[in-house]
Amino acid sequence: MEKFLRKNAPAYVFLAPWLVGFFLLSIFPILASLYLSFTEYDVVQPPEWIGLENYQYMFEFDYRFWKSLQVTFTFVVVSVPLKLAFALAVAMLLDKGIRAVGWYRALFYLPSILGGSIAVAILWRQLFDYNGVINSVLRFFGGDGPYWLSDPRYSLWTLVVLAVWQFGSPMLIFLAGLRAIPQDLYEAAEIDAASPMRKFFAITVPLLAPVIFFNLVLQMIEAFKSFSGAFIISGGSGAPLDSLLFFTVYLFNEAFSFFRMGYASALGWVLLVIIAAFTAIAFWTSKYWVHYENERG
Amino acid sequence: MRFTRRSFLGTAAAAAGSTAILTAMGRPAFAQETRIRHFWWGNPDRDERTLEAIRIFNEKHPDIEVIGETLGFADYFTRLTTQIAGGNMPDAIQMGYGVMFEYIERGALLPLDEYIGNQLDLTHIDQSAIDAGTVDGKLYALSIGANSHMAMYNKRLYEEAGIVPGEDFDPYGWTYDDVKRIGVAIKEATGVAGTDDNTADYQNFSDFAAQAGGELYTAEGEYGPTQEMVEQYWTIWKDIRDAGATPPAQHSAGLAAVSELSRMGVVTGDSATTYLWSNQLVGVQALMEDELGAAMYPNLPEMIPGSIIQPSQFICLSRDTVDAEATVTYMNAFVNDMDMTAALGLERGIPANSQVREMLQPTLEGAAATSVEFFDNIQGKTMELHPPQPSGANEVEQTFERIAVGVLLEQQSIPDAAADFIRQAEAILRRAS
Repeated sequence: MEKFLRKNAPAYVFLAPWLVGFFLLSIFPILASLYLSFTEYDVVQPPEWIGLENYQYMFEFDYRFWKSLQVTFTFVVVSVPLKLAFALAVAMLLDKGIRAVGWYRALFYLPSILGGSIAVAILWRQLFDYNGVINSVLRFFGGDGPYWLSDPRYSLWTLVVLAVWQFGSPMLIFLAGLRAIPQDLYEAAEIDAASPMRKFFAITVPLLAPVIFFNLVLQMIEAFKSFSGAFIISGGSGAPLDSLLFFTVYLFNEAFSFFRMGYASALGWVLLVIIAAFTAIAFWTSKYWVHYENERG
Repeated sequence: MRFTRRSFLGTAAAAAGSTAILTAMGRPAFAQETRIRHFWWGNPDRDERTLEAIRIFNEKHPDIEVIGETLGFADYFTRLTTQIAGGNMPDAIQMGYGVMFEYIERGALLPLDEYIGNQLDLTHIDQSAIDAGTVDGKLYALSIGANSHMAMYNKRLYEEAGIVPGEDFDPYGWTYDDVKRIGVAIKEATGVAGTDDNTADYQNFSDFAAQAGGELYTAEGEYGPTQEMVEQYWTIWKDIRDAGATPPAQHSAGLAAVSELSRMGVVTGDSATTYLWSNQLVGVQALMEDELGAAMYPNLPEMIPGSIIQPSQFICLSRDTVDAEATVTYMNAFVNDMDMTAALGLERGIPANSQVREMLQPTLEGAAATSVEFFDNIQGKTMELHPPQPSGANEVEQTFERIAVGVLLEQQSIPDAAADFIRQAEAILRRAS
């Protein structure tokens, strides 16, 4: 024991700040929110234990809960594949060894760095405003743009575009993955006169599968949690007509606008379970399409 | 440790008596470094004025240091809720007439009664303002300005359409028919829509409900307006919209529940009339070149009063205050001190202290003068203050706005939407109580 301490004490001293942060700022709030999800808690008064009532209300009576799930699922299902496809396409272009590739990489990555920021969401609102840049360009070409943000038929799609635009980080990971594919495979395919399409589906996709899988899981989780864009563009309420009522926006509203912190905690746990379930499904299906080099097949 | 030292010095100072001149409203002179925080939602103009008032206070009260904190309205209550949960609410906080009752009911604010006559001087404060801050016989809040609903119109556009206030319409008693007629005339003459579309404006609806003979909440805390009233309200605005007096419905849908003054129709040039709170006139005028005129919200032909005069904002003592006496001293100065109120002006509405009003009167010009004139003219044309709103009122308002957007976009017929709204309003109030 003494030897163990002498050997490892410095490590624990250096780890201490992180450990303190981890327990105080992660573990404790997580446990607290689990407890609060079984209470009625209006922030000012002490929480009151009500058992499963929050969950019961959510599933049986709360139609806005179901609406927010629908909005969030639509967003995840549409934006994640689009974003990944776009990221892969750009990564393949950059992989072709064009000049000043570093510069392009940085440029394409920039939106991802700015990604979650409020400033970008505000910029987006102004771009897609009825009198904004997008519609001005459309008008210049003789078209008449719709009310992107106040028409519930379009509002969600402006956020999908915003998400796809932030393709930088999956792109960088794809780029690294593409670099790892042995070039001789392509050369061999060349000799057999394979079409570019064939090369893509027979070489690139299978060898990139672990990277695609990694990006898919990561982006899916991120999309489920997406908040600031919808919050800013809808003015915090999920307007128009709840078309931007993302799960997180709804949760935020319940917690901070209507003093229902207990109910909001319950919502948070439901989101956690949903994300965990989808991640598990992704891992389960992955054994049918993702193969790693060190596996023997 | 510090506390004992401070109380000791305080007692010593009180005993000595000679330094009493330096004490502020009976506070010990040597109790230094009492640091209190004042939190308000604002705009650049208000922030500048408030910080100036704080600077004056700090100069006059070297023993108390006030620190100002400000945020936009949209984020204000979020921050406050977080602070309540963390037990570190600022000492003095700004509250609005509607939401304040929810905070009082939940116990987040402290009553001020024990300070009256000591740190707090109510001698020159209007009784109506004191009543407005009183719940269950206890005073919880100091009004920092009287407010009412106001239609603000672009004088140039009205002139270009040949509309003369006082002749073509009575700014203190016009009807929805006038709004429609004038709106169409302005649209035809100038190409600008005559009026904003208030289908999703809950303030306007609350006035309308009273004009139509209902109150928003009954004494038992139940929802007052009937389905017929909601239908009638939305039909009136549909009629105005169909006549071409408003911007396109989809445009109005995007403005539901928007609070930034810079996005209002009169400011963006999308319309000639916008409906806001009277204290916002100064702020809106600062954003535009054309001069603004003021009118009441429109009425039904029966002319039953629907608008109320109510405090625009209050300053309140929070449950988490570190020093209640120092904070009340500051709150008192905020409404009574001549130098501080001069710095604050009318930006938060008409002051509740009659001496302050007298002092400000000769200095007013432009939008501030228009506000005072407006207030003189609406006297006797408003209704009594509503009883405090029940919990959940805030959510009812959001629900109204959401369903009204569906009406604007014609996703639901007016009768269906109205029935839907009443049903949800009742469910929300049941759940909150």
